[in-house]
Amino acid sequence: MQGKRFFEHRYRQLGWQYHDACLKQAIRINSINTQNATVLDRLHSKGVKLKKVPFLKDGYWINKSAFSVGATPEYLLGYYSIQEAAAQIPATLFTQPEEKLVLDACAAPGGKTIQLADLMRNTGTIVALDLDKRRLTAVSNHLERCHIENTVVYNMDARQASRLGMRFDRILLDVPCSGNFATDPKWFQKRTLRDVHNNARMQRQILAETSGILNRNGELVYSTCSLEPEENELNIDWAMKTLHLQVQKINCFGEKAATEVSGRQLDSTIERCRRIWPGETQGFFVAKLKMCGGKD
Amino acid sequence: MKHIEDFAHRFGVKIILDQSLLVESHHRYFLLKPGLKELASRNFISVGLYLGRTRRGKLSPSFNLLRMIAREKSNKTFVDERTAWLFICGRDIFARGIMKIRGRTRRGDYTLICNHRDECLGFGEMLYDDEAQIRSAMNKPVISNILDIGDFLRREK
Repeated sequence: MQGKRFFEHRYRQLGWQYHDACLKQAIRINSINTQNATVLDRLHSKGVKLKKVPFLKDGYWINKSAFSVGATPEYLLGYYSIQEAAAQIPATLFTQPEEKLVLDACAAPGGKTIQLADLMRNTGTIVALDLDKRRLTAVSNHLERCHIENTVVYNMDARQASRLGMRFDRILLDVPCSGNFATDPKWFQKRTLRDVHNNARMQRQILAETSGILNRNGELVYSTCSLEPEENELNIDWAMKTLHLQVQKINCFGEKAATEVSGRQLDSTIERCRRIWPGETQGFFVAKLKMCGGKD
Repeated sequence: MKHIEDFAHRFGVKIILDQSLLVESHHRYFLLKPGLKELASRNFISVGLYLGRTRRGKLSPSFNLLRMIAREKSNKTFVDERTAWLFICGRDIFARGIMKIRGRTRRGDYTLICNHRDECLGFGEMLYDDEAQIRSAMNKPVISNILDIGDFLRREK
């Protein structure tokens, strides 16, 4: 079960008519290192045309630039990061992350780690994990470029996070996933439903491991850039029933998530999650979870 | 610690770091916030503020360390915008691009290279003994580029 027609049919069943994405490059200003207005003025004076992303505080789309915005002095000085607009959403969903102990369980290449540190104003502690040691080099480079002080990076599988012997106030699970066609033109040729199921299984293992080290009243944000319900709504439904997690209300860009998938009725609170279909952004899915019995 | 102190000394400054918050791992140095101390006892990739690494006994500083030195009254050379860009691209500094020199100018001294906004772009080594010699060296490099922020791009390759 694969191919463009197969997946298009699935998306139609979830309420979305397939169309090509018109993905725009986006930046996020690192507000601990500079002020938004300063960076905007400086980029503007170089001829870069920016447009505020309406649903992000520090996010801007690059409408026009004659050169790579990843090679400007402002970028190299850590004043902004290149981060796709939808990918900027998950880290913003935590309440009051300052001074907290935060786990970024699948951290590489580090865009969201830097964003978390920025939102935390370099306070508290971030523990950043990733299984792929080579990709952690990129994390270290970003941390240095952006002058991040509150982060420790370990080469560790998120499925073994309990070995840290710690409990966290906030956990970001931007889990490895099947991705989507908006960022990979050959996605439909490459991906099968089998890949999706394999990824969903691994994601459940990560959810199970990390929910066990979430503090009571702690918050867990789960995100993928997959459009497949197995990796999104169905995993959240499973987490609610198996791990006793509750879905929290979030106020962010995106549509309500599906509560019926392939004729299967899911918990009604799953509609609190957000599904972002490809358009100006890539496809994305976000959910905010707490342990049952934790305060809203 | 001595590597870092000696390095800062070449910019004409003394930086004092809390020894108890300094960690060395595989010849790499990190400055910790107190909350990170316990976490640094495990085998980590990075922790706190990365300060640099030693290779054959010589310190390769991080840009965090250069920024710390820049906050002190260190040797600084301010360059114009075009020279700043060329420096980021890995080029040496010529006299015509220098706007101002602060601190010691002795052959072999280190100097931070800053743009007109006082943003540290890296550092270099003075190739002449005083400002008059520097100003008269028209077509020769006067400061050799040792490290610039363009390194972040070159590392990725």
